[in-house]
Amino acid sequence: MDKNIKILIVDDFSTMRRIIKNLLRDLGYNNTSEADDGLTALPMLQNSSFDLLITDWNMPGMQGIDLLRAVRADPKLSALPVMMVTAEQKREQIIEAAKAGVNGYIVKPFTAQTLKEKLEKIFERVEAK
Amino acid sequence: MANDTSVLHQEYVARAREMLLHMEQGNEDESARLLDELVRLREDSLFRELGKLTRDFHDALNNFRLDSRIADMAEHEIPDARDRLSYVITMTEQAANRTLSAIEDSLPACEALETQGEALKTRWVRFTRREMDAQDFRVLAHDVEAFLEAASRDLPRLHENLQDVLMAQGFQDLTGQIIRRVISLVEELERNLVELVRISGQKLLPPEKEAKPDTSAGVHGPAVPGLDTGTVSGQDEVDDLLSSLGF
Repeated sequence: MDKNIKILIVDDFSTMRRIIKNLLRDLGYNNTSEADDGLTALPMLQNSSFDLLITDWNMPGMQGIDLLRAVRADPKLSALPVMMVTAEQKREQIIEAAKAGVNGYIVKPFTAQTLKEKLEKIFERVEAK
Repeated sequence: MANDTSVLHQEYVARAREMLLHMEQGNEDESARLLDELVRLREDSLFRELGKLTRDFHDALNNFRLDSRIADMAEHEIPDARDRLSYVITMTEQAANRTLSAIEDSLPACEALETQGEALKTRWVRFTRREMDAQDFRVLAHDVEAFLEAASRDLPRLHENLQDVLMAQGFQDLTGQIIRRVISLVEELERNLVELVRISGQKLLPPEKEAKPDTSAGVHGPAVPGLDTGTVSGQDEVDDLLSSLGF
């Protein structure tokens, strides 16, 4: 996978955004941007061409699940790979995210290895298309 | 209220007198009209009383709901919040220990590489200035090799430790979510207590403002062991669940 792909990290906690950003840098992905909730993220996605969205679920303003639905409903963004990294771990929520078209679901706390594996899985599928 | 009653009483008396007068004069139409008016007066006051009773009943029901909400909070949600806060202490403690362990493991390796590197640098400068004899150079070459070996052994460990420190900071997000939830419980408790004081203080305080809309509908935050049910127990279960859905 091209290491220069553009990734948007959305989480209301700046510490978690920094963690994900540093993990991605460790994996060689340096082209990242950040947003603190869905309302800020959506215009960024619409006005720029991101290759991957990594989002939390529980955020003020617009929640991650609504951001995911907004992305899938936008013809220009609908094919964007979306990975959720969240502390939400009710079964019905995971099913809800799957139905909304999520491409990967990681529960917090997670490991660097999990992030790496899930990213690779998403990229494999994107490249297979 | 006493005033109302006496006004009403006077109206009854006035109409009754007038009606009696018309009856004695054989003025049936007018006396019938006054009788109707009397009946209507009676009905009006009945309805007023009924209205007041209904309002009192409504208030009593609301107060009862408020009482039972506070009882419910005291019985279930306060102990639940206490357990959640204890879990926050556990998580912050784990994160601090994880960070400290990584640092304790890294510092000696850093210091060793630093000292060795510094000593080699001095000798290497001597070598580049051709101030070193063959015997010393052989020792230097051997030490450089040992240093490189130590570096390639220790640096990945340092990298791993730094990554561990990085991951340990995830506690801030997770505990933050739990604490926010407890704060909103405390806010609700405060609102209810203020309302209770307002009611028992016979409406000394102005009525409550509208509660702000809940934007956290449908979210649960981090699962706290022993408190939250219906959650998956880790990434493996998430993966199983998703693969059962065709992922």
